Amino acid sequence: MTTEAIERADSTPERDPRPEASAGTSWAVEATALSKQYGTLQAVDELELRVPVGSIFGLIGPNGAGKSTTFSMLATLLRPTTGSLSVLGHDPTSEPREVRKRLGYMPDVLGVYDNLRVDEYLQFFAASYHVPRKQWPGLVGGLLELVDLDVKASALVNSLSRGMKQRLSLARTLVHDPDLLVLDEPASGLDPRARVELRETLRHLNALGKTIIVSSHILAELEEMCTAVAIMEAGKLLASGTPRQILDQLGAARTVVVRFADGSSETFPVADDAEQVALLRRLAADEARPLLELREEHRGLEHVFLSITQGIVQ
Amino acid sequence: MNLNPVIGRELTERLRGFRAYLAVTVFVLALAVTMFLVFEASEGSASNFDLSARTGVGRLVFESVILIMTVLVLFFVPGLTAGAIAGERERQTLATLQVTLLRPRSIIAGKVVAALAYLLLLVVAALPVLAVSYLLGGIRLGDIALGVLSVATVAVLLATMVVAVSTFATRVQTATLLAYGFTAVLTVIGPLVWGIAAVLDQRSSETVAPPAWLLTINPLALVADLGTGNRSGGDGPLTWIRQYLGEAKARNGGSWWAWFPEPVNWSRVDAASLAGRPLGGGPAAWVLSAISLSIVAAALSLLAVRRLRAPAETER
Repeated sequence: MTTEAIERADSTPERDPRPEASAGTSWAVEATALSKQYGTLQAVDELELRVPVGSIFGLIGPNGAGKSTTFSMLATLLRPTTGSLSVLGHDPTSEPREVRKRLGYMPDVLGVYDNLRVDEYLQFFAASYHVPRKQWPGLVGGLLELVDLDVKASALVNSLSRGMKQRLSLARTLVHDPDLLVLDEPASGLDPRARVELRETLRHLNALGKTIIVSSHILAELEEMCTAVAIMEAGKLLASGTPRQILDQLGAARTVVVRFADGSSETFPVADDAEQVALLRRLAADEARPLLELREEHRGLEHVFLSITQGIVQ
Repeated sequence: MNLNPVIGRELTERLRGFRAYLAVTVFVLALAVTMFLVFEASEGSASNFDLSARTGVGRLVFESVILIMTVLVLFFVPGLTAGAIAGERERQTLATLQVTLLRPRSIIAGKVVAALAYLLLLVVAALPVLAVSYLLGGIRLGDIALGVLSVATVAVLLATMVVAVSTFATRVQTATLLAYGFTAVLTVIGPLVWGIAAVLDQRSSETVAPPAWLLTINPLALVADLGTGNRSGGDGPLTWIRQYLGEAKARNGGSWWAWFPEPVNWSRVDAASLAGRPLGGGPAAWVLSAISLSIVAAALSLLAVRRLRAPAETER
């Protein structure tokens, strides 16, 4: 199934994995033939990525797909081997400070300063981003309220649970009011309630105008939250766009499950709305087999992911 | 101008633990025990009515305390600063620091200044012990000032070097081993090379003449020369080190730089005349020592800044 899906994808003429640009779209991130090589290991291979301003963009892939390496290049930590990269109109290699002023980065590993208080932790990063001191009290209080840690302001960081530390880390990325958030597995290790709260927080931040790039293994959450996704494996971009666009590209957009009055049921794959309408008309016209129930089977991100990845781990 | 935030954070974290205060206690106790032992050992040799001998006791206690203070600094500084950058890597906080607007040199400078602020605390805590040697006589306040200044200079230079060394390690344990190894090498490399050169220079059984400046590449040489420069009488371990430097220079044709000159007629060199006097022409030993240690510190710092710079080819 997976091999067939990939072969279909490869044979689809002129399939462009990049999201379609509408007139007037500006890109928060533009990567062209972006590559990163460590010796013989090609961590990122000719990546073409476009993240629209104002979107919540999900980056999905198995372990070793190159997601964290891509994020490190966006966050000005790693120099690309080849290709070009633009983050909010600036090159992270030649203009790292300009990018850092506007980007908030949360790595996939949770490192904090245990012996600081929560408010001191945020004040330290406010100072590191040259936020004026007089703004600190309001800023720190507002951020702690946003991530629901205001009651823990005076607590030592090492007394926080993992979920609280994760939320504190998110607050840290916001301390200088960046336009772009790059969050590598922000929901990792969180319980279900904390994940829901994180999702709501990210939606709220997006509503405030922030562009968010997030990676996660919890595909259902990304599907619910993201306006577009990109799927990577073995350093390569396999597909990009909304889940529906990707499914359409694969030619396996959806299925309709029909239950008939005689108790039997059938599943019909359909490529698009027109085909689905035609199918429903045909079935409704068949008086020999009255319809009892119609249901569109949801083929979500998980189906897309499993369809087009091979499970390659680098 | 805003203070480097790394300084405040480092000091806050350090002073929140009990180890900081334990270290101060151990430091002061070690100096106090040294003072007591030296005083007790010299007490029998000084008659209550011999003022010269009594002031000699004061000088001996003072120099012993300064020497032990220097040795303690050589032990404390690597332990305090080895984890400066390696600790950030181990805690996985380095990346979040590198993506801020702090420059690599600010990060390193902040770590060094924070360590020095704590070392200053140690030195200030040790002042009462030094004051006792002043009360014994034979010491001027200027001697104490120079002694403390020399130890502080070694602390500054060593802290700078060890913080830089820390950038090359990924784990605190590795960084600590590197730091102590580096400090040991720094302390012995100059005299070791001088000793090897002396062995190789076997032109005469009595005189050897390797370049004397090799002996100044050493924190103890800096403390010995600067700490005893304002001598007022008596001697102690620092004076003995300084005399040895003077003898080596005298054997080297009276120059720090001469490259294995003809052997000096040792009978014409009065080692005792070196006591209390500048060691001949040319720069003072402590100047050479400070310059050589500063060059090492500056070179290591430049390498450390380059290593911390982002974006980099590989994740640091």
